[in-house]
Amino acid sequence: MKKWGEVALGVVTSIGGFLEVGSIATSTQAGAEFGYRLAWVLVLGTLSLGFLMEMTGRLAAVSQRTYADLLRERFGYRFFLLPLAAVLVVSFLVLASEIGGVSIALQMATGISFSWWAIPVALLGWALLWRGTFGIVEKGTALLGLVAIVFAVGALKLHPAWPAVGRGLLPSMPRDDRARYWYLAVSILGASISPYLYLFYSAGAIEDGWTIEHLGVNRVTAGLGNLFGGGLAVCSLIAAALVLAPREIRVDRYEQIAMVLASPLGRAGFVLFLATLCITCFGSTLEIVLALAYTMAQGFGWNWSENLKPGKDARFATTYTVLILLAAVPVAIGLNPLTLTNVAMVATAASLPVTVIPLFVLMNDGDILLKHTNGWLSNGALVFIALLSVVLLVAAVPLQLLAGG
Amino acid sequence: MPALASRTIHVGALVALALTAAACGRPPELDKQLETLSSWTATMQLAREEHGSGAITTTYATQLRDAASSALEETKQTIGQTAHSKVDSSYAAAALDSLRTAIRALNAETGS
Repeated sequence: MKKWGEVALGVVTSIGGFLEVGSIATSTQAGAEFGYRLAWVLVLGTLSLGFLMEMTGRLAAVSQRTYADLLRERFGYRFFLLPLAAVLVVSFLVLASEIGGVSIALQMATGISFSWWAIPVALLGWALLWRGTFGIVEKGTALLGLVAIVFAVGALKLHPAWPAVGRGLLPSMPRDDRARYWYLAVSILGASISPYLYLFYSAGAIEDGWTIEHLGVNRVTAGLGNLFGGGLAVCSLIAAALVLAPREIRVDRYEQIAMVLASPLGRAGFVLFLATLCITCFGSTLEIVLALAYTMAQGFGWNWSENLKPGKDARFATTYTVLILLAAVPVAIGLNPLTLTNVAMVATAASLPVTVIPLFVLMNDGDILLKHTNGWLSNGALVFIALLSVVLLVAAVPLQLLAGG
Repeated sequence: MPALASRTIHVGALVALALTAAACGRPPELDKQLETLSSWTATMQLAREEHGSGAITTTYATQLRDAASSALEETKQTIGQTAHSKVDSSYAAAALDSLRTAIRALNAETGS
């Protein structure tokens, strides 16, 4: 019974945790510009993330070590610096985008410019990390993030033509503006398969005390949670396709996105959109800054746990303190949060090989995973994701220059 | 107000016609600028409708208007360099005018 409670909570937190600034921005941009045609990319990203989370969760539950720990132990300290640097740079950009997302939501609600909100948001986040526990950060913000279900309500209220949505789940090539189409596809994948998500998930498994007994919980959480979370991202694409695309409105600023829910749901939709943007981005801010602090602490062998008092893991606490305050700077100086988000998503996509390819070696290491090494399905998926990550590495920068705007 | 609204729609239709008719042979940069103007014009029209129905707040509608005004100003500065022919210049002028009208219509709706 307790296990099923954990499964339910895990699924719920995954739903609330999946939707954040990157997925909201890229899926609504995709819906506004290409209707349902990029829905297949969301499905691909969701499935890929589901596999990666299941694997890093299994790795942590069986070995009692996080993915970052094992990266350093198995490949050596020098190699570890490569994924660490890549994750640090791209996740820092994503972190700044999330702070931008919260700030822009507060701007839309109050009329006070987003740049004024960046530092207070960062300070609030820091205070929660300093005073709170892992349970509060993980479950508290994710449960509040369930407000994101409003995207599903909005999409249903707009009565989409389901056969057309179904056709969007199959890859297709647009007749024109192909560079922009692929640029958005790369951005969606960057938003869906962010390394911080599986690094955080792996560290969370250790924080929550997972063991081999939790492998079932892990599978269901990674599978169902991502399925529902990805479903919400598809719903935001559908809403944008039905509200913005017919009017030929391109999403150039976050301010335009609120219309996708205000149109079908009226004032309630508008308010719930602001709440969704604010809560999900704030939750992701906490998750990213923790994922970065975890990765550094685990890599360098420091004490780490969000459940410890800051005095007991001073270097870990200092890391998240510095990172969250630094990440507020780009937003505080007035960088357009949407531009920041798009650049962050493309950079994330380009960084994937350094965290995805080593996973293949670890997931097939019998000394680490005993009898729980990858089967043919997981290995097939991982090879596919690794190849996809290499394609993204090659394509991301040229597409950013060609169609990033 | 209704006159302003019908003028917005009229100019919008002209811009749409111009965009369709002249899709070939225009500099890609100009195409992008016209798309931006047309997108913000449509955003203003939607914001006016949604504000009228009470779905969005005046605070938010004002921010949208400011964002559209910024886009208008930015495009106004650069569109002259990309619209080389007379025909291109007239499309650009119509698109700018359409957005100006839409912004005025939203202003009238929000009472600002």
